Amino acid sequence: MTPSDEAPATEPSPATQGRRLHPLTLLFSTVAIARRLILPAVFGGISAAGGDAGRAVLVILGVLTVPSIALAIAHYFTFRYAVTGEELVYRSGVLRRKQRVIPLSRVQNIEVRQSLAQRLTGVAELRVETAGSGSEPEAALSVLRRAEADALRHVLLARRRPVESRTVDGEDTGLSEPAPLVHLTPPELAVAGATANEAGLIAAALVGALQFADDLPLPLERYLPDVEAWFTQQSLAGTVLLVAALMVVLIVIGWVVSIVGSVVGYYDFTLARTGDDIQKRYGLLNRREASVPLRRVQSIRVEESLLRRPLDLASLKIETAGGPAQQQRGGAEAFVPIAQARRIAGLVQALFPSFALDAVELAPVHPRSPRRAFTRYALTLAIVAGGLALLDRRGLLVLALVPFAWVVARWQYRMRGYALADGHVVLRSGVLNRVTWIVPDEKIQTLHVTATPFQRRHGLASVVVDTASGGAQPTLVDVSAADAATLLERMAERARAARARVRAARRSVAQAAV
Amino acid sequence: METAPPTAPPAPPERPRTLDPSVVRLWRISGLIWTAVLALGALVLHLAWGDEVPFWIAGAAIVTYGVFYLAAWVPRAYRAWEFEIRETDVRLRHGVLWQRTSVVPHARIQHVDTRHGPLTRAFGLASVVLYTAGHTGAAIEIPGLPAAEAEALRERLGALSGADDAV
Repeated sequence: MTPSDEAPATEPSPATQGRRLHPLTLLFSTVAIARRLILPAVFGGISAAGGDAGRAVLVILGVLTVPSIALAIAHYFTFRYAVTGEELVYRSGVLRRKQRVIPLSRVQNIEVRQSLAQRLTGVAELRVETAGSGSEPEAALSVLRRAEADALRHVLLARRRPVESRTVDGEDTGLSEPAPLVHLTPPELAVAGATANEAGLIAAALVGALQFADDLPLPLERYLPDVEAWFTQQSLAGTVLLVAALMVVLIVIGWVVSIVGSVVGYYDFTLARTGDDIQKRYGLLNRREASVPLRRVQSIRVEESLLRRPLDLASLKIETAGGPAQQQRGGAEAFVPIAQARRIAGLVQALFPSFALDAVELAPVHPRSPRRAFTRYALTLAIVAGGLALLDRRGLLVLALVPFAWVVARWQYRMRGYALADGHVVLRSGVLNRVTWIVPDEKIQTLHVTATPFQRRHGLASVVVDTASGGAQPTLVDVSAADAATLLERMAERARAARARVRAARRSVAQAAV
Repeated sequence: METAPPTAPPAPPERPRTLDPSVVRLWRISGLIWTAVLALGALVLHLAWGDEVPFWIAGAAIVTYGVFYLAAWVPRAYRAWEFEIRETDVRLRHGVLWQRTSVVPHARIQHVDTRHGPLTRAFGLASVVLYTAGHTGAAIEIPGLPAAEAEALRERLGALSGADDAV
């Protein structure tokens, strides 16, 4: 550690024992509290028009607001942070003083976030996550002067890596600006939004509609009885048509919301590799800059959805070690929102240099798999049909879908596949959304073979490859029981060998450093 | 934690181990308690609203399932359980209908706990729980070992584990 790379801004001076947040913290935390209370306040206000209950709600909210704001003020005045040697330290609290020490070698992800208001006022939020972070980041420095957040991020990035590898690779990771791996233009982002997940599209439409209904200051009650009356006057066909039209309108709204959301949310999406980190920047209004250390990447998921497959487009997600927060974010934010399918192999290789996705041949799962799937879907349909038939005999029409169940089962079978490629396990599955998992051998935590009674009837089993990332784990469904046992054995052996290689490499780097 | 030199000379190959046979009685007693509590609940509901809702059906179902569980399920669950400490990993098998075989490498074990509830203690038993950084296999429990054996197993797995703490 040379003195030159010590950013003076982050060094604690004995006099102050750490630095404070930016004074605008007071404003932003007050606004955040206010915003959290707006919704209940609006409800309170609505019912206040009705009587005493509403007024009571308002009073309670007022009483709740005062201590929250007092706490926020106390938080600002007592909060101090510092980077001392190999640790990030912060403390806060008036009555119950809390001090947290985060060893920099444990830091997983570092993110600088800026909302529009924060950009206009030149401040930013710095979030630091470790493998143990639960729903909250391990440290959230909100808010700092923008320049200070950047400086701190660079210091954390440079010091995060273990001492032995640092001296070998040089010290300035995160400081140079390399050629981006991916840069997405607004038209590409519009396509990404337009082809975003089907289910998401519908959900977006519904949420969008609800949001509208909530936001519009219309006295809806005044119109609703009329609509009801109108409904009762219509024939069944008229109602169905109306509902269908409404659905179409909602889907179109959802589609537009999805496109605009994608362009605004991922605006200027840039992905670059600096040293051992992947840097991701995006956002038009809310700007985010995140760094993910490559060696913390647990697996890659390539997703090709129904709408994107014909267009030869795919998205790519990385799973890092971390708590449920990362799992949710992983679901909500693709790592690369969209890319041409032919570029995916190159991108994967940029993350896992020793791996060539396009050279991988996937083996199919057991041919009896579609029969089991069909039985399952057909039984589900039969139960639904039976249930509906109790209400109305036309419910039996659901049984007309049974041949379709066979098509889906065949389709699912063709999607599934696996390969023990060079140093990586590759699994693929899906019906609408084709998902390909790529797990480096050395990231495998535990391995499991599971068999349900229905699988055992056909002599089948599933293999689960567990990694340290949250969320759904790569699973290979319906290989033969014998194959599953062999796969378990082979993967365990490969994972053991890979861990030994990693340990040996780390040792030799440490020796070179000495 | 850089490297862990092999702590002991390789142990002689082990047979897969089973749980302590007295766990069958433990599971039966806890099953009996659950059945009794639920059946009592159904009885209370039957006495209160039995005229309107046929709660006796629920009660009969609970008792039937309880008898089936005690007589048929528990011994099978016991026979289905086996585990083996191998040179580089722990292998576990369990499950009667939903069967599961797991491989937990020693290097991936973050820490090991023993766990004893009041009923388990009364039987002189304990569970050993293996924690990994994984997701589905984050906590793997080996139930129903004699307390002393569980302690010894915890010590042994603790010594074997943690060769590799990098995620």
